[in-house]
Amino acid sequence: MLDTEATLEIAELVAEFKPGNADLIPALHKVQHRYGYVPREAMGVVAKQLRLGEAQVYGAVTFYSELRVIPPPQTRIDWCSGPACRLKGGENVRLALESVLEIGMEENTAGDKVGLHLAQCNGTCDFAPQIWVDGKVVGPLTAADTITLARELKEKN
Amino acid sequence: MLKAYEELRAKSDEVWKNTQARTVIRVPIATCSIAAGARETLEALESAVKERGLDVDVQTVGERGLCWLEPLVEIVKADGSAVLYEHVTSDKVEQLLDEALDDVSADLAFAVVEGTDVEGLQRLDDFDLWALQERRLLLRCGIIDPDNIDHYIAHGGYSGLAQALDQSQEEVIQTVSDSTLRGRSGSAFPTGTKWEFLRGKEREPKYLICNADEGDPGAFVNRILMECDPQSVIEGMVIAAHATGATYAFFYLREEYPLAIERMEKAVEQARERGLLGDNILESGLSFDMKIWVGAGSYVCGEESGLLASLDDERGMPRIRPPFPADSGVFEQPTNVNNVETYSDVTLIMEKGLEFYNSVGTEANKGTKIFSLSGHIQRVCVVEVAFGYPLRDLYHAVDPATYQERRKLKALQAGAALAGILPTHIALKLPLDPEAFKPHGVLMGGGGLVFIDDTACIVDLNVMFSWFLEDESCGRCTTCHGGTQRMSEIFRRIGRGGGKSNDYDKMELLGQALQYSNCIHGSASPTIMLRSAEYFREEIDQHINEQRCAAKVCRDLIRYEIDSDSDSDKLPEAAAICPTEAVVQEDEKWSIDQSKCIKCNACKDVAPDAVRIVDAFDVLPLTPVGASATA
Repeated sequence: MLDTEATLEIAELVAEFKPGNADLIPALHKVQHRYGYVPREAMGVVAKQLRLGEAQVYGAVTFYSELRVIPPPQTRIDWCSGPACRLKGGENVRLALESVLEIGMEENTAGDKVGLHLAQCNGTCDFAPQIWVDGKVVGPLTAADTITLARELKEKN
Repeated sequence: MLKAYEELRAKSDEVWKNTQARTVIRVPIATCSIAAGARETLEALESAVKERGLDVDVQTVGERGLCWLEPLVEIVKADGSAVLYEHVTSDKVEQLLDEALDDVSADLAFAVVEGTDVEGLQRLDDFDLWALQERRLLLRCGIIDPDNIDHYIAHGGYSGLAQALDQSQEEVIQTVSDSTLRGRSGSAFPTGTKWEFLRGKEREPKYLICNADEGDPGAFVNRILMECDPQSVIEGMVIAAHATGATYAFFYLREEYPLAIERMEKAVEQARERGLLGDNILESGLSFDMKIWVGAGSYVCGEESGLLASLDDERGMPRIRPPFPADSGVFEQPTNVNNVETYSDVTLIMEKGLEFYNSVGTEANKGTKIFSLSGHIQRVCVVEVAFGYPLRDLYHAVDPATYQERRKLKALQAGAALAGILPTHIALKLPLDPEAFKPHGVLMGGGGLVFIDDTACIVDLNVMFSWFLEDESCGRCTTCHGGTQRMSEIFRRIGRGGGKSNDYDKMELLGQALQYSNCIHGSASPTIMLRSAEYFREEIDQHINEQRCAAKVCRDLIRYEIDSDSDSDKLPEAAAICPTEAVVQEDEKWSIDQSKCIKCNACKDVAPDAVRIVDAFDVLPLTPVGASATA
């Protein structure tokens, strides 16, 4: 693989990590923290650094749901898929989001303005059904609330 | 060792004493309270106190677990009196400072914690959901600043370690075994036995893992401990290191808990500064350190061998055993894995002694267990009760209105996606003890309790759980990745009205096939499906035989209709909110275009009286599916 400016930058970023040292996920976190996702080029660089096959790194990146392979949206909506949310109308919230934004889970609207991510329960179930908008809990939501919010986000961008 | 501890303790006692010299306003900062606006409350309080030039301290603490009351602010005065105030959002801060500093704010007060009675106000110790608890592991939560190790030490922290260090490895392990402590994640493997395995290994180095990958949907037991009392987990791990000869630990924490990560990292740093991690801990010669290791979103990494694979630069696929972790764990070295609550229990056992620890609980399980309660209840909360506490009493305390027959409780889902589901008539008779759950074909699990009332549909719940299990299957075993997919397909089909009478046979067959999976993710994945078929047969039958969903949840078996008799004032608003333009008006007559409706319920949200959810059995002037009303 040819070194480019981008790969050299990534190589420097992950230089502290060592093979056989439980460093794969920490290295990928560091890359994602910098770029907002794990770019294709980074997988080769991380593989080289940790003496792993590139396929192993790709395998790991796509195995874990919090590692992204597409650039992050400007506004990120995490939809809670947990049971308390489901019981209180979480599916209505999802349908409303997908319908207004015209995207599915793990997709971004055109120009990466707004993105949807299927998230796991972290126990703020008093707010069920809830979403996180850029990490902040919003709930309890009706479908109508959700539509209003999604339309605002869509128009703002 | 005890001497080194006494020195630490003396200094910390001094720090804690200083916090009590004047009025303290304790603001809980943890995930539940933050969601309720506690950060904004804290900011508003800090600036208002400064502006007013008040002689009070504003202090960050963890939360007490009474999530539905958050932000739950406590004012502790120099005379020792203390009152809790509920729902103190930032807009209530001025009122709180006006009313609660010289007196008690009757308007905002929730309960008296300490001091003389206040007329018309309950005492926290008399509040039902508090009184029923046996708070041991959660004792410091909401009282101490989780980011301040002195607060922890001043409340008895690290005295358990000091005592353990004066005992031999065998003595510590014997004590842990005598406590009957079993893994609190739901696996229920005896902790003492696990430690003995590791102690007996000669190969070095040996590792400890803290499994903080609390992925069970609806479980947030470990999160509370990590966010509100992080040092108690670290202390338990140092005790385990002493007992087993481990020298290093990985603290595997899920990425979905950012505050827990932040708190644990700070706690490790502070423990290191005080010589409670690192070389020669408390001058005992013990060397042990740890790293907070952040996961990346995978349920199956909560399975211990999946977790180990994840640490070892692989995808988090559970390994084939043997070898077991005690022989070959992380880096193929001897390793012991316990979860957060289990380590916290160890701390408690060492600090308070066996007699205290074993004074509550059941024959098989002594001590206490933390539970997180959610779903169709009024009081979403985290509580700690003695093993064996009656589930019915706990339920009545978390949902007093349902107790008065507001709605009908239908089911209890304990222990998340792998543990099972029980109908009310069985569940509410059970004591909170793992042994009591087993005869009914379910597990009690790690502490998540989700209450489900009759607005939910059992088929829909199975669609959710089987899809979750399918999505989180690592893909190693065909039985699991194929089997969970088949489960999903069957329940989706039943939910669409395409159920067949032989679906039960297929479920049974799948249940058998899934047993041949490598790890518990596969072998336990049919539990909810099988228990549903056993206990909720009638409801599933109704879907299969009549294409009817009594709860009106399964979307393909219902439709939204405008009720022609109702007041239609709100219908223009309903038309405006509809994301698919399905609410239409023609010749002054409103209807829903069934070809466009996605059944998101938004029109009913804004016009609840004008929109009805109907199924094929409802008798009302109906519009044929797919046609508009005026056609």
